[in-house]
Amino acid sequence: MRGFAHVVRAEVFKVLRKRRTYVLAGLWWGLLPALVLFVGRLVHVNFGGTFVDESGGIALVVQEIASPYGIARIALIGPAYVSPTFYMIVAALLAALLIGEERGHAMWKTVLVAQPQRFPVMAGKVSVAMLALGVLMLGAATSGALFGALGTTFLPTTWAGDWTGLAWLYALQWAFCLAAVLFAFLMVFLFKNIALGVVTVFFLQGLLEGLYTLYRATVGFEPVNRLNVLFQALRLQQRLEAIPQYFFTSNLYAPARSPVADLVRAVNTGGGEIPQDALGQLLGAGITLPHAAAVMAGYAVVFGILLFWRFARHDVE
Amino acid sequence: MDHAIAATSLTKRYGRVAAVDDVSFEIAPGEIVGFLGPNGAGKTTTLRMLAGLIRPSRGEGHVLGQRVPGNSLRDVGTMIEEPSFYPYLSGRDNLRHAALLHGGVEPGRIDAMLAFVKMEAAAGKRVRAYSQGMRQRLALARALLWRPRVLLLDEPANGLDPVGIAEIRENLRAVAREGVTVLVSSHILAEIEKLVDRILAIEKGRLVFDGPLERLLARAEALAYRYVLRATDVEALERVLREAGLAPERAGDLVAVEVDAERADALVSDLVQAGVRITEARRESDDLEDAYLRLVQADARPA
Repeated sequence: MRGFAHVVRAEVFKVLRKRRTYVLAGLWWGLLPALVLFVGRLVHVNFGGTFVDESGGIALVVQEIASPYGIARIALIGPAYVSPTFYMIVAALLAALLIGEERGHAMWKTVLVAQPQRFPVMAGKVSVAMLALGVLMLGAATSGALFGALGTTFLPTTWAGDWTGLAWLYALQWAFCLAAVLFAFLMVFLFKNIALGVVTVFFLQGLLEGLYTLYRATVGFEPVNRLNVLFQALRLQQRLEAIPQYFFTSNLYAPARSPVADLVRAVNTGGGEIPQDALGQLLGAGITLPHAAAVMAGYAVVFGILLFWRFARHDVE
Repeated sequence: MDHAIAATSLTKRYGRVAAVDDVSFEIAPGEIVGFLGPNGAGKTTTLRMLAGLIRPSRGEGHVLGQRVPGNSLRDVGTMIEEPSFYPYLSGRDNLRHAALLHGGVEPGRIDAMLAFVKMEAAAGKRVRAYSQGMRQRLALARALLWRPRVLLLDEPANGLDPVGIAEIRENLRAVAREGVTVLVSSHILAEIEKLVDRILAIEKGRLVFDGPLERLLARAEALAYRYVLRATDVEALERVLREAGLAPERAGDLVAVEVDAERADALVSDLVQAGVRITEARRESDDLEDAYLRLVQADARPA
């Protein structure tokens, strides 16, 4: 346990001295909320009081976007929709800093002599990555609220909003990111070239999920019906078609994307279910938070076991 | 605990190739032992196994009475191959990071170590701006940071100029005086000779010598002597030596030749009997490098 604490202290010391940390914080804490506030201001100035605003909906839109609650919520949602997602960028960069640099600068031979127990070393590094991600997310929520507070001085916005629900979604999203961090660590550890490891973190899941979707759209899983004659009990086709429910991406971002899914569900489908097409998957159709939590826990266990097992057996050449 | 370092049948195989093959030795606390071998002989692999960085294919290493990898490695300082650091951190911050990782060091220890290796002035600069010599000295400071009882040093003088080499040697002597057990590898044999009392020599993964420095020199002398000869007729001298199956090397009016120990005593009388007038004959004493090379050549010779 002491070894773990030592690793955490040392890695925090390192992360705080890396410029990359502050660039990420600047993007998430400064640029994103400033942009959102600017968009809110544009909407308010250009559409407020015009024919578009006959029912007073623009004030509602500005409140949803640029209020303290709105910006804090977008700071959670926004990073889950860019590609590669900001969460994966953060996970990959932290993995590159905490794991990749040890190989890149041949530091494992130093680290593992100063702290010979390998489990605390890796556990400490993963914990620091999660801690850094947590601080970044907390800072994003706080700066969003502060930028929103600034907006209340020149926009028709208030502090109203489901802050408790939002805090819960932030906490869930942070916890779900453990699987992403472990995946990023595993890829960066497995690939000798850091850049290749980082690129893999960004695109591997998307590539596999895209290939699946393409195959399903073009060939489909009807051919497995022949096998089903033999393996009735397995229900192969249904199982193969249910795979998207277990996709890494859609489950990982279930908390961050759930406000958008709720909004689309309320506006477009009259409260009904969102169709499970490509757009539906992007919004997290058919994926409940408990289901996503179970799936991400499964991913975290698998990636964690692989990572720690590989690290324990790794020869530092 | 009898031994500070012990290797028992330590073996590391990469596929069918044995980088280290059945190496066993023991080093008592406070001993300073030189680890000799040409590049690729298995020195670094052995040190890495003892430092817990790579897993042996067979056998085991013990440090301070405990099998490695284990907690006893916390009392070990290492410099293995090229010194490595986080280039974006200063020298001082690199030491701080290592100290935190280890669990902290006593107040003032970092500054003391920087002073010990004469790096106070450059301690605030980022390591990426350091020269090879500065990195080497900083690596030694880091290896000593937590007052290790055992030091595993791999080519600590690598890439240093003569002044840097002398400084590292002085530093290691100072460390040795404090009773630290040191296993130091090098292929700059002259450096080992000035530092150690005992030699381990490794060749193609196998330990070919383990003993005091004097014994290595004596053993090499027992294998062959090197004579330097001068004669009134140098050509005749060379011809007679060749006819005797030897390999003379001429340098001006001097001829150097290596002679097996059993033929050495009779060499000069044989030459005189052959009609060569010898005006000077002296036997060169070996330095460590000569001794080591002879040892390796003798071991490589088919039985």
